Amino acid sequence: MFVFFCPHCGENREEEEFGYGGEAFIPRPATPETLNDDAWGDYLFMRKNPKGWHWEMWSHNTGCRKFFVVKRNTATNAIAGSWTLSDGRKAYDAEGGAT
Amino acid sequence: MSEPVMRSPLHSFGLASQAKPIDGSSGVWANEIPHIGYISLRGDGRDQAFVSAASKALGIPLPIEPCTLATSESVKVLWLSPDEWMIVSAPGQANALCSRLELALAGVRNQVVDNSGGYTQIFLGGTHALDVLRHVSVYDFESLQPGRVAGTTLGKSSVYAFRQGNGYRLIVRRSFADYIWRYLVRAANPYGLGIADVPVDNLVGTSTASVNVAAG
Amino acid sequence: MTSFRVRRPGARIDFEKPLSFSFDGQPYSGFAGDTLASALLANDVRMLARSFKYGRPRGIVGSGPEEPNALMQIEAGAHTIPNLKATQVELYDGLIARRTTGYPTLEFDLKSIGGLFSRFMPAGFYYKTFQNQKLWPKFEHIIRQAAGYGSAPAEPDPETYDHSHRHTQVLVVGGGASGLLAALAAGRAGLKVVVVDEQKECGGWLLSSPHSIIGGKTADAWLKAVLGELQSMPNVEVLTRTSAFALHNMNLVLAVEQLQDHLPLGARSAHRPRQRLHRIRAENVVLATGAIERPLVFGNNDLPGIMTASALTTYLNRYGVAAGKRVLLHTSNDHVYQGACDLVRAGCEVVLADARARVNPAWEKRARAAGVDLRLGYGIAYARGGRAVSGAQLVKLDAERNAVTGKGPSIDCDALGSSGGLSPTVHLYCHDGGRPHWDDEKLAFVVPATGRAKSRIYCVGAVTGEFGLQQALEQTQRTIGDLLASLGKPAGTTSATDVHTDEPASVPPRRIFRIPDGMREGHGKKAFVDFQNDVSAADIHLAVRENYRSIEHIKRYTALGFGTDQGKLSNVNGFAIAADARGISIPEVGTTTYRPAYSPVTFGTLAGLHADETFEPRRYSAMHACHVARGAEFEPVGQWLRPWYFPLPGEDMHAAVRRECLAARRGVGIMDASTLGKIDLRGKDVREFLGRVYANDWAKLAPGKCRYGLMLDENGMVMDDGVTACITDDHFVMTTTTGGAARVFSWLEKWHQTEWPDLDVYMTSVTDHWATAAIVGPKSRQTLAKVCSDIDLSPSAFKFMDWRDGTVAGVPARVFRISFSGELAFEVNVDANYGHHVWEALMDAGREFGITPYGTETMHVLRAEKGFIIVGQDTDGSMTPLDLDMAWAVSMKKPFSFIGKRSFARSDTAGPNRKQLVGLLTEDPEIVLAEGAQIIERTDIAPPVPMLGHVTSSYYSPELDRSIALAVVRDGINRRSDEGRKTGRDVLYAHAGGKAHKVRLVSPVFIDPKGERQNV
Repeated sequence: MFVFFCPHCGENREEEEFGYGGEAFIPRPATPETLNDDAWGDYLFMRKNPKGWHWEMWSHNTGCRKFFVVKRNTATNAIAGSWTLSDGRKAYDAEGGAT
Repeated sequence: MSEPVMRSPLHSFGLASQAKPIDGSSGVWANEIPHIGYISLRGDGRDQAFVSAASKALGIPLPIEPCTLATSESVKVLWLSPDEWMIVSAPGQANALCSRLELALAGVRNQVVDNSGGYTQIFLGGTHALDVLRHVSVYDFESLQPGRVAGTTLGKSSVYAFRQGNGYRLIVRRSFADYIWRYLVRAANPYGLGIADVPVDNLVGTSTASVNVAAG
Repeated sequence: MTSFRVRRPGARIDFEKPLSFSFDGQPYSGFAGDTLASALLANDVRMLARSFKYGRPRGIVGSGPEEPNALMQIEAGAHTIPNLKATQVELYDGLIARRTTGYPTLEFDLKSIGGLFSRFMPAGFYYKTFQNQKLWPKFEHIIRQAAGYGSAPAEPDPETYDHSHRHTQVLVVGGGASGLLAALAAGRAGLKVVVVDEQKECGGWLLSSPHSIIGGKTADAWLKAVLGELQSMPNVEVLTRTSAFALHNMNLVLAVEQLQDHLPLGARSAHRPRQRLHRIRAENVVLATGAIERPLVFGNNDLPGIMTASALTTYLNRYGVAAGKRVLLHTSNDHVYQGACDLVRAGCEVVLADARARVNPAWEKRARAAGVDLRLGYGIAYARGGRAVSGAQLVKLDAERNAVTGKGPSIDCDALGSSGGLSPTVHLYCHDGGRPHWDDEKLAFVVPATGRAKSRIYCVGAVTGEFGLQQALEQTQRTIGDLLASLGKPAGTTSATDVHTDEPASVPPRRIFRIPDGMREGHGKKAFVDFQNDVSAADIHLAVRENYRSIEHIKRYTALGFGTDQGKLSNVNGFAIAADARGISIPEVGTTTYRPAYSPVTFGTLAGLHADETFEPRRYSAMHACHVARGAEFEPVGQWLRPWYFPLPGEDMHAAVRRECLAARRGVGIMDASTLGKIDLRGKDVREFLGRVYANDWAKLAPGKCRYGLMLDENGMVMDDGVTACITDDHFVMTTTTGGAARVFSWLEKWHQTEWPDLDVYMTSVTDHWATAAIVGPKSRQTLAKVCSDIDLSPSAFKFMDWRDGTVAGVPARVFRISFSGELAFEVNVDANYGHHVWEALMDAGREFGITPYGTETMHVLRAEKGFIIVGQDTDGSMTPLDLDMAWAVSMKKPFSFIGKRSFARSDTAGPNRKQLVGLLTEDPEIVLAEGAQIIERTDIAPPVPMLGHVTSSYYSPELDRSIALAVVRDGINRRSDEGRKTGRDVLYAHAGGKAHKVRLVSPVFIDPKGERQNV
C-alpha cells in the first residue's frame, strides 16, 4: 500500500484515500474528426505500460478531490514524487516527456 | 397540514433521549449534532477578489492554508481543497448566509450551494476517542492538531474531521450516517460507549469556551 | 514415563497454578505458563500426529512457529480453530484439543500399513497419478480425509475482530534481546516506538536461556530492567502476542494481536475482539526477527521424541520439562553446548555427538566439566524406535568430506535433539522484494547487516547472522546508532548499555546438512527434510534426477516448504540437499520466494469490522422510516437500500406490483427517488461544459426547463443518463443514475481538471441534500395541489419538462415535471431534513385519490412499458445511442466534438449487424422470459448456435395484461421494421431454462407510443 504526498493538501496520506486516474499526459486531440481510425484508436486504447518509471494520475478521493501526477516505478513501486497537474507537466516535459 | 419537522440522519437511533453528561463511566462518548447548516463554497483561493469578498461576507478571513479551518462567533470555515470550502453555521442560518455570499461574490467565479440536508455531524470524545479513530480510519489522527481539518476515510466511507475542545467532530454524508454510526459503535465496543449530552452553546463548534470532553 | 517436570529457577511456569485440559478426549493437567506442547510433553504424550503421506507417527519438533507436526484442532462448535500449532497455544483451564491427522485414528493410521504407501508415493505422486484428470474427483475425498489437517468451523463465527491503523517513527519487529535493545535506544532518543513480539512476553531466546549474563546481569534481571524502562517511556508501546506477518511497500507492516485466545472460553469478553489486525505504517522498521534452529537430516529423524536441540533446551529452561532421561544431542555447531550442560544439571544423562572432529575448546571444557558424554566426529546414521525414539546408530565421519569412514556406537536414548545451525527469520525482509544472501561461514541465508537504508529498513541481531549474543547486541548498537544519526539524534544513548556476555567466542560450524549413512540416497532409512509434507532427502534427489532444476520447481514438485509452517525448519536443508544433488553451491540454488503471510492469519482478522452489519456501507434515504412503517420489502441498489414493493397483508410480490402499477397508471402513485445522483453546476461556461459531456445539445435550454441527456464515454458508448434542469443561464442541476452518481461526478471533475480547466464551471454533489418524492399518475396534479399553493400547476403554466420553485407542505421545494413512467408526474425535491415530513404530507394529500407508494419493481415495469432504458441493465458498455434507437438524444451539429462523437465513425461502431434495443413479445402472453435468455434463430439448439442477442429486461405488464421484454438483438431495428416483418425476420426464439420460446420483435414502446399521457 502506497503513501502519497498530496500536492494540494500538503500531507502524506494513505493509499485508501486515493483513486487511480490512469496514465498522465494523454491530451485529448483538439480536432478528433481529423484523425484517422488508427490515430483515434491509439488515443483511446494504447498506453505505455512500462516496466519502470511511469507518469500517472491519482485522485485524492476522500480529501481535496483533485487529480494530480505521480511518477512511480512500476517494477519497484518506488515513487519519485508527486505534483499538481501543471507542475507535473513541467517536470515531465523537462525529462523530454519520456519514460 | 402539520408543521414541518426536521429529522436528522440518525433520528431513528433515538440518541437525544439516551444522552447524559460525560463522566468516567465510558471510555468513548459520542452523539449526533443535528440540523447544523452546511454550505459548499467553491472559488479560486489564489484569486484575491474571491478571497476578500468571501472573507467579508463570512466575517473572517477565508482559510487558504491547506487543511486548516477558521472559526468566528457564528461560523466555522473548513478548507477542503484549493477551490473548495465547507461553511458550518448555526441551525437556520445557512439560507441567509448563502444569500450574503452570493451577493458578495457577484461577478467573481464562484459557486455557493446550500448542502445542509446533505451532511450531519458526530461528536466523538472520551479517553479512548483516539483508539476508536485508529480502528475506523487510515489517517494518523495522533498528528491532527487543533485548527486543522482532515478529509479522509471512515470504514469504507469518508469524513471531514477536526478537533474541538478535547474531542473530535466528524462531518459525514447523510446517506452514510447510519453506516458510520454503526461502525463507530462497533469500534467503540471494547471501551464502552456513552451517548454524550453535548452542551447547546457548543453545537456548531464556534464557542471559544471548549468543553472538557475527555473526562476521566 | 520418559519426560519429567523440573523446577528450573527462571522457568516461566507457575507451579502453584495447575490447569486441566484434554487431548483427544483424555484429561491431562499442566500449569499456568505452559503451552499446549509443553504440557503434552510433560504428560509424556509423544505421538500427536500422523504424517501426511505415509501415516508415520509424529511428535513435537519445535517450540514456536516453526512446528510442522503438532497441529491441533482447538475447542469445538462455533469456536473451533483448526491447525493451531501446539507450540503456540497457551494453555488455559478447560482447553479442549484434538488431533488433526490420523485416519481413522491416531493409534491406527491406514496409510502406515506395512509402509504400503511409501513405495507408491514418491515425489510428484499426485502429478504423475492424476495427470488423467478423470481420476481425481473419485479419489479426492479419500485422499483429503486421509491427509487430515483439521476442520473449519461449520457455524458462524461468534467472535469479532477489528483493525488498528498505527503510524510510528520506529517499529521494532521482535522483542528478543536485540529488539529490546533497539527499542531502548530509540525510546531514549525520544522517538515514537512500537515493539511487536509474537509471544506472550518479550525476551525471545533469553527466555530459554535465563542464566546468560548480559552486562553483569542475568538475562532475567536484564529483561526486567529493560522492559521496566521501556514501560516508563510514554513514547514507547510494547505489543505482545502480536505477530508481524507481512511487510509491504513503504514500510506498511501487518501484525495480528491475539487478545482472547489465551483465555478460557468462559472468561472471554464479548466486548473485546478475538484478534486485532494492526496496520503499522513506520518511518523506520527495525527487523529483530531472530533465527530458528534447523535440525540435521538423518534416517528416521521424524520419530516422536526427536526435536531440535533448541526446543529441548526451551522446554527444559522455560517450561520446566525435561523431554527424556537419556538424551542424545547431535550438532554441527556450538549452539547446543549450553543446553547440554543445562540438561545434565537437570538430572539427564547426555551424550553429545558433534559432527566436527575438532570443536570449540572453551565449550569442550565446559561440557566435559558438566558431565556431558562428548563424542567428536560422529554423526547419526539413523534413529531407532517405533512410536518413539529409543536410540540411534552413530557413524564415524570423515573430517573433511561428508562421508562415513567407519561404524560408530549405538546409543540408547529416550529423547534426541539435533542442531544443523541457525536459519535467520528473513521472511519480512524479503516480502518487499529483498533477497537474503548466503553466508558460507555462518552457513545461513542472512539479510545484510546494513538492512535497506534507502527504504529505512534496519536489521539487527541474529537475522543478520550475528548468532552470538554479545555480537548480536553490539551489531544492534551500531545499527541503531546509524539510524539515530540519520535522524540527527545523538548516538550516545545506544552505547550506554553494557552488552558484555559470558559466552565463549564461537568457532565455525561444519558444513553438513544430510548426515551420511554410508548408503546411496534412497536406499537407507527415510531421512526427512520437510515433516509436514513428508518430503525426504531421497525425494529431492529424485526430483533432480527427473530434471527439475529451479528450486521453485523442486519445491512445487516435492511440496518442500509448503504448509502451515512454510518450511521454517526445512527450507535451508532442502536447498542444501538440492545443491549437493546438482553438484552446485547453495547460493547458486538460491531460495524460494518469501511471501506474506509469515504465519497463518484467520479471515476474520483480515475482515475486521468490514463484516456483518458493517460489511459494506448501507445508504438510506431521508424517507426510509416512512417505508419501513408501511411494511415495504427492500432491495439493495448499489450501496442503497431502496423499497422494492409495498405488500399489503396477504399479498405476494406479483399482486403488490400489479396493484402499484395500476395505481400509477390510473390513479396516483408515489415513489422515493432520493437516490438519484444530483450535481449542482455553476459558472458561465456550464452550458458549454454540458454540451461537451452529453451527446445532446444544451445551447437553447431556457431557465425553467429540463432536458434528458445521454452521457457517453470516449468510445461512444452510453455510460449514464438523466435529466438536467436549467436554473439560470449559469446554473444547472444534473441528475445521474443511482449507481452512477459517484462515477459521473468524478468523470466530470476529471475532464474539467485535466482538459478544460479554463472553463468557468464549479460542480458540487448535492445527492444527499435533496430528498425526492415522485408523484405519478393522472391524479398527481390534484394531489400536489393540496399541499402546494404557490406554484401554478395548470397544464399551460407548468408544462411537461418544466421545473418550478415553490413551497410544498410548508417547505421550500423544487418541483420538476418529468416522468419515468410515461404518466403525468411531478418530482418534489426538498432539503432532506424535511424528507420524512414531506413524504407523509403527500401521503395525506393523496389519500382521497388512493395514493399508492411503490418501489423499484413497479418503477421498472412502468419504465419498461414505455421502453425507457436502465443504463447498466439494458446497456452494457457496448451500446451507442444509435444502438438504442435514441438518435434524437444526439446532436451531431454541436461545434465542439463532444465526448464519444468521433468514435461513432469507427468501423465497428458504424458497421452493420450491431446489437440493437428492441421490444419482445412472447407468443404465449403468460410467459415471462428470464433476463439473460439468449436470442436465437431456430428452435434447433444443436451447436453451434448463432447467438443473436439476449433479453435485458422482462416483466409482466398489468396494464397490457401480458408479458413484455426488452432485448438487444443483432440488426434488431431492421428486423422489427415493416420490411423485417414482411420477410418474417422479426420472429425469433428466446432460449432459457432448456426451452426455446417463440418471440416477435416489436417497438420497445409498448404503451402510449405518442407520449400523450405525460402531457395532460
